[in-house]
Amino acid sequence: MLLVQQIINGLALGGIYSLIAIGWTVVFGIVGLINWTHGEVFMIGAFVGYFLITSFKVNFFVALFGAMIAGGFTAYLLNHFAYRPLRTGPRLALFITALGASTFLRNLAALLWEPHSRAYPPTLDFSVQTFTLGGSVLTVNTLQIFIFAVTLIIMAFLQWFITRTMMGKAMLAASQDLEVVSLMGVEVNNLINITFWVSGILGGAAGVLVGVLYAINPYMGALAGLKGWAVAVLGGVGSISGAMIAGLLLGVAENISSSYISSGYRDAIAFVIMIITLIVKPTGLMGFKFEEKV
Amino acid sequence: MRKAVIFSLVVLAVTFVDSLDLTRDYIFPSYFKHILFVSLAYSVLTLSLNIVSGFIGQVSLGHAAFFGLGGYVSALLTQVYQAPFWPSFLLAGVIAALVGIPLGAPALRIRGPFLVVVTYGFGEVFRFIAINLDITGGPAGLPGLITPAIGGVSFSSIGVSGKEVFIVVMLVMALFLAFFMRQIGESRVGHAFAAIREDEIAAAAMGVNVAYHKLLAFVLGAFFAGLTGSLFVHYLSFISPDMLGSNESIMILTMVVVGGTLSITGSFVGAFLLTVLPEALRYLKDIVGLSYDPWLVLFGLLLVIMMRVKPQGILGVDTVFRR
Repeated sequence: MLLVQQIINGLALGGIYSLIAIGWTVVFGIVGLINWTHGEVFMIGAFVGYFLITSFKVNFFVALFGAMIAGGFTAYLLNHFAYRPLRTGPRLALFITALGASTFLRNLAALLWEPHSRAYPPTLDFSVQTFTLGGSVLTVNTLQIFIFAVTLIIMAFLQWFITRTMMGKAMLAASQDLEVVSLMGVEVNNLINITFWVSGILGGAAGVLVGVLYAINPYMGALAGLKGWAVAVLGGVGSISGAMIAGLLLGVAENISSSYISSGYRDAIAFVIMIITLIVKPTGLMGFKFEEKV
Repeated sequence: MRKAVIFSLVVLAVTFVDSLDLTRDYIFPSYFKHILFVSLAYSVLTLSLNIVSGFIGQVSLGHAAFFGLGGYVSALLTQVYQAPFWPSFLLAGVIAALVGIPLGAPALRIRGPFLVVVTYGFGEVFRFIAINLDITGGPAGLPGLITPAIGGVSFSSIGVSGKEVFIVVMLVMALFLAFFMRQIGESRVGHAFAAIREDEIAAAAMGVNVAYHKLLAFVLGAFFAGLTGSLFVHYLSFISPDMLGSNESIMILTMVVVGGTLSITGSFVGAFLLTVLPEALRYLKDIVGLSYDPWLVLFGLLLVIMMRVKPQGILGVDTVFRR
C-alpha cells in the first residue's frame, strides 16, 4: 500500500514535470534548439504568480493566468532577441546563447528579487483526506489533487489546440519538417513565435503550480528545467503525449525512489533515467526517428 | 613555440620576482598568485575539454565531473589510505580516464543536443553521489588535505607565498598538454579526429574507426582533467561537491567557446579571461560600492553578445562551428 500512496503523492509533481517537458519538447521539435532558458521562464512564471498574489491580492486563477502570459511573453522575447538572429547560424552558438541567456535571467532575478526562498501565501482551501483501501489507510492531500486536475485541464486544452486548430496542425507539421511547411505557405516566423508562446505559457503555469506546493527562489529553474528536459527525452523528444506520460512516470519514480532508496538521490533519478533511456532507446517512449545523412 | 616561451617567462617572472627581494613590499600579492594558479588550472581544463569539443567536435557538459573525480580520488587516497601525493596524483588521472570510457560511450550512439544533456546528467549524478556518500564528507566536502612535497620538501615551504611551486607545476602541465595537443593534431590520430569532426558518416566510410577515436578523445580529456583536479584540491587543501557540478562544467565549456574551439592559444585566452574578469569586476564593485556582484549577470549577457558577433570565439577556427 505504501506503493499506492507514493504513486498518489507523485502524480501532482509528475503533472508539473509534464507541463515543463512539453514546453521543452515543442520548441525542440520545431526549432531544434535545446531551450536552456525554459527553466528560467518557469522561474519567472513562479515569481509573477507570487507577486500577483501577494501584492495585488488576486485569486489563484488570475495569478495562474498572469503567470502564463508572463511566461509566454518572456519566451517570445528570448526568441526575438537571442535565438532568432542565430537561427541559420551554427547550432553550438545557439546553445551557448541559451546558456548565456539563462545565466543572465537567473542572476538578474536573484539580483532583483533577492536570492532567498519565498512561499506562496495560502490562497487555496485544502484538506488532508484519508481513505481506507484494502485494509490500509491512504492519505490524500486535496491540494495535490487540485494541482493534478489543473495540469490535466491545461494539457487537454493543449491537445485541443494542437490537433484541432490550424496553427496547432501547422506546428505538428513543422515538427516533422519545417522547411516543407514553409513551402506550403505557412509563415515560419509566426509559427516559431507561437511555438515559443506556447512553451512559455506552459512553463509559466508550471511555475505557479510548483509555487503553490513548494517554496520558490530565483535558482529553482536550473534543476526543474533540466528535469523537464530529462522527461522530454524519456517521452521521446518532439512527442507531446510522450512528455505527458513520462512526466507522470518521473514524478512517481522520484517519490518511490526517495522512500525505497534514499531521499538524497531523489533529484538524481531524473538524470539516471534520462541517461539510460538515451543509451538504450534514444527515441524515447514514443519519439520519432531522427535520420542523419552525409 | 615563441608564444609558449614568452608566456612561460612572463608567468615565471610574476611568480618569482618577489623571491628576489628587490623591493620592500611584495610587487604581486599572494592573492594575485592565487588568480594566476587558478587561471593556469582552468587553462589545462580548457585544453583538455578542447580535445573533446575541438578535436572531435562533441560538446560535453560533464567535464567538471572528471576534474572533481580526480580531486576526490586523490583526496581520499591521501587522507584515508595515507598514500603519498605523487602516486595519488597519477592515479587520479588514470581513474578519471577510466571513467571517461563509460561517459564517452554514449557519444558513440547519440550526438549533438542529446550528448550535451547526457554528459550534463553524468556530472549531476556524480555530484549527488559525492553529496550523499559518507566517505566523501557529504555536502561539506573534505578539508585538510595534505600539501604535496617534492624530495621531502613541502610545496608550501618554498617561495614567499607558498604558491610558487604549484604555479610552476601547473604551468608545466599546461605547456605539456599544449605541445601534446599540437603533436596529436598533426598526427594520424589527429587527422582521424578531424575527419570525425567534419563528417562522422563519411569518416567511417573512409575506414576511420569512429568508436575508438571518440573514446580516445574522451579518455585523454578526462585524464588531464583528473590530474588537474588532484593538484587543484591539494593546492586548496579542500574539496567539495561543487567542484563536480554543472556550473563548473558550463564555465569550462564557455572558456573553450570564448577562447575559440580547436585553438590552443585560444584555450589559454579563454581560461585567463574568464578567471580574471570576475575577479576584476569584484574589485570594481568594491570601488564603485555596488551591493551585489554584477559578474554573473554580465557574464550571461556577454555570452549572448559574443555568440552574435563572433560565434567561433576569439581565436576560433570557423570549420568547427558549422551546423
